[in-house]
Amino acid sequence: MGKPVLEIGGLHKSFGALQATRDVNLAVNEGEIHALIGPNGAGKTTLIAQIYGSLKPDAGQILLQGEDITARSVEERVHLGLGRSFQISNVLMDFTVLENAIIAEQARQQAAFRFWKPAFQDRELIRGAGKILTRVGLEDRRDRLVSDLAHGERRLLELALALAADPVVVLLDEPMAGAGPEETQNMTQIIKQLKGEVSILLIEHDMDAVFQLADRLTVLVEGTTIANGTPAEISANAAVREAYLGSES
Amino acid sequence: MQLIKGWFTAAPLLWLIVLLFALFPIYTTLADLPFWNDVAMRIMLLGMAAMGLNLVLGYGGMVSFGHAAFIGIGAYVTGIANFYGLDNGWLQIALALGICAVTGMIIGFLSLRTSGIYFIMITLAFAQMLYFFFVSLEQFGGDDGMVMNRSDFVFIDLWAPLSLYYMIVAALALTALLLCVLVHSRFGVTLRALKSNQSRVEAMGLNALRFRITAYMISAMICGLAGALFANWQEYVSPDIMHWTRSGELMIVIVLGGLATLAGPLLGAVVFFLLEEFLPEILAHILPAYAENWLLVFGLFLIAVVLFGRGGLIGVSQKLRARLGKGAG
Amino acid sequence: MTFALILEQIFNGFQTGVTLFLIAAGLTLVLGIMDFVNLAHGSQVMIGAYAATVLTALTGNFYLGVLLAIPVTFLFGIVLELVIIRHLYQRDHMEQVLATFGLILFFNEAVRIGFGPGALFFNLPDSLSGFVMVMPDMPYPAFRFSVVWVGLACAILIGLFVARTRIGAMVRAGASNPEMTAALGINIRLLFRLIFAAGATFAGLAGMMLGPLTAVEPGMGEGLLILSLVVIIIGGIGSVRGAFIAAVIVGIVDTMGRVLLPVILRSFMDQAAADGAGPALASMAVYILMAVVLVFRPTGLFPPKG
Repeated sequence: MGKPVLEIGGLHKSFGALQATRDVNLAVNEGEIHALIGPNGAGKTTLIAQIYGSLKPDAGQILLQGEDITARSVEERVHLGLGRSFQISNVLMDFTVLENAIIAEQARQQAAFRFWKPAFQDRELIRGAGKILTRVGLEDRRDRLVSDLAHGERRLLELALALAADPVVVLLDEPMAGAGPEETQNMTQIIKQLKGEVSILLIEHDMDAVFQLADRLTVLVEGTTIANGTPAEISANAAVREAYLGSES
Repeated sequence: MQLIKGWFTAAPLLWLIVLLFALFPIYTTLADLPFWNDVAMRIMLLGMAAMGLNLVLGYGGMVSFGHAAFIGIGAYVTGIANFYGLDNGWLQIALALGICAVTGMIIGFLSLRTSGIYFIMITLAFAQMLYFFFVSLEQFGGDDGMVMNRSDFVFIDLWAPLSLYYMIVAALALTALLLCVLVHSRFGVTLRALKSNQSRVEAMGLNALRFRITAYMISAMICGLAGALFANWQEYVSPDIMHWTRSGELMIVIVLGGLATLAGPLLGAVVFFLLEEFLPEILAHILPAYAENWLLVFGLFLIAVVLFGRGGLIGVSQKLRARLGKGAG
Repeated sequence: MTFALILEQIFNGFQTGVTLFLIAAGLTLVLGIMDFVNLAHGSQVMIGAYAATVLTALTGNFYLGVLLAIPVTFLFGIVLELVIIRHLYQRDHMEQVLATFGLILFFNEAVRIGFGPGALFFNLPDSLSGFVMVMPDMPYPAFRFSVVWVGLACAILIGLFVARTRIGAMVRAGASNPEMTAALGINIRLLFRLIFAAGATFAGLAGMMLGPLTAVEPGMGEGLLILSLVVIIIGGIGSVRGAFIAAVIVGIVDTMGRVLLPVILRSFMDQAAADGAGPALASMAVYILMAVVLVFRPTGLFPPKG
């Protein structure tokens, strides 16, 4: 694998007496799919928020392609190449699928602050938006209102929007959340195809999907990283098995 | 050309109403009812201000309870300028727009740090501050306001019949065009997306504040323009124009016509005025003793609109058409 | 500007603050727990004042009138919640603002129809019309003095109730986490109804105490409504303690501002201008205070944790 594109070192975050994040160390290498797993309450959400930039850590460092982004805003991190999908689909319900993609495309081009030409009829934007949708197979649903989409399709759109800005690293927060078996298979295939194009930090509970996709895993328990390595190494790890007794999805 | 045509076809109802206003004086002249020109001018100005607010309220999702303040600033800039002999109308409008833009930027910047009910309240607070500020200006009439002459627009004589009328029609048309352009532009689309889901738009690397403050400034300027023209029409300015109930009135008008629609605010203004005119009349026929208390009925009507009339007139008519379409087909 | 005068104004400010608290308490709980913006809360003040005036005239006794007016106001709150308010909990704030704005119009006209547009006289009994000596050589109007005590008593009552009783615990839980309260299976609808009606009653009580001081007329509650909204924002939505502290601060700032500003202005303006501008600028002071608080504490001074 390549060199690390996302490095987290010595991250700490406390809420009063509660230590949500304790000395977390994690590295995502170029082109790999790196899964972050852990039982419920391990602090994955808090950790993701700190990587994304919506929460400030108390101590530690986050490097994106070698650049220190610990103190940077969400907006700056996105411009530096960080993308993110949300666990609960944050798609634009009142717009069509294509319109969602157009809004993402104009943001990608950093050309959203324009006032004259109608955005949804812009041929260039439509073309770029089409590419965003084709990536996840939503091309033929382009004219549907998002509120009319099935849950699985919304998750796909969520993924598409996360990838729209051609990020270097993308945080996928439980992309399979709420998806049925068919949808999960479909999503797994699509994420597999992304390997090499973009580096992925994948948070997932679905162990089948995780083991199908991940090149390496990091295990988070009670706010701290207890193990990391290949899927084979992790499944053989005694500490991990203990933490997971009975809590497989 | 296709582009420009698109702006007009995007909101046929809006342009129809503007056209009707433009043609209205033909009727009033023939029927010898010049008083109705004044009514029409007031409706147009109310509709214009409502369109300005709709940009941030309907499309931007920002519930600003203080937009009447910008109407007031526009009116007072005009009045105060006249007071000091600076009566060039074009200069006054430029000044009003400029001051509204700056005030809008400052108020927007400070208010948009909050959200929800706090945002509503802080915008109300700023509006109240401005209201009491103008009340305190004794030399400009304070609470009672002051009389003023119409401004000098150089090649347009505001005393000529219908001069001011068509000036207002022009301003209305310009505002309508501006809204049509903005709502469909990349800026407008992003603003609407922010209303729909701010987290997603921020995750795309966009700065919410930048878009929202810009929208706020533009809406402030539109209201300021309406205020400046209103002062000219009324030949009088007073703090009443920026009382908090005026901001409430703007909201009523928008919701009545249809939030986040292009024609809604102007349609709402028309209906609002018709209600104001005809409710007392209707009551005078059915219950003459209570004709003066028509606000009672209006209050109930407002509650009914909120409870049962989601989407305003435009929304309700769309739903009806959909139902009828299903029934027939 | 003698010391006695300033002290008297501080008392007045405190009295205004305590009255504001009675109005703000209901407002902050309803907004904090039910997330409901009630512009018609000012009408509640008006209803209380009218009820007390009518009942005092009917019974010929001020105390009896006020005592009977309290349950009347409570019942009114219950009915209002049942008929209109509870249908609006799910709506967004702007719709709530518009609907309750409609209620203001309705109530003002209803009162006009029932009692005419002019002010009613709400006369004080002799026992409350005199002066008390709050300090040697410092007479203070007896009625205002009793208003302060009634208000303080209510504040302590509400504070103890919210802090010490089971229902109070539900109220506190509701203020910081409405969804959780519902999940706990507490009869939310009844709780909401009672909270609303209780808030309405305290507002009505404020109206009864204001009536003799100002005037009992249509729209008498509107100015206070806006001021109360300012109070609860400064205090922190959902916090009774915050509402009390903020109400006292606002009351004193407003009263002292009205007294001191014209004096300050007179030093560099002529008297007429100063006396005209003074009250207006004093009115601004409260809003400036709120804006400053919001800039540094976007959720008020004492937001309930949740």
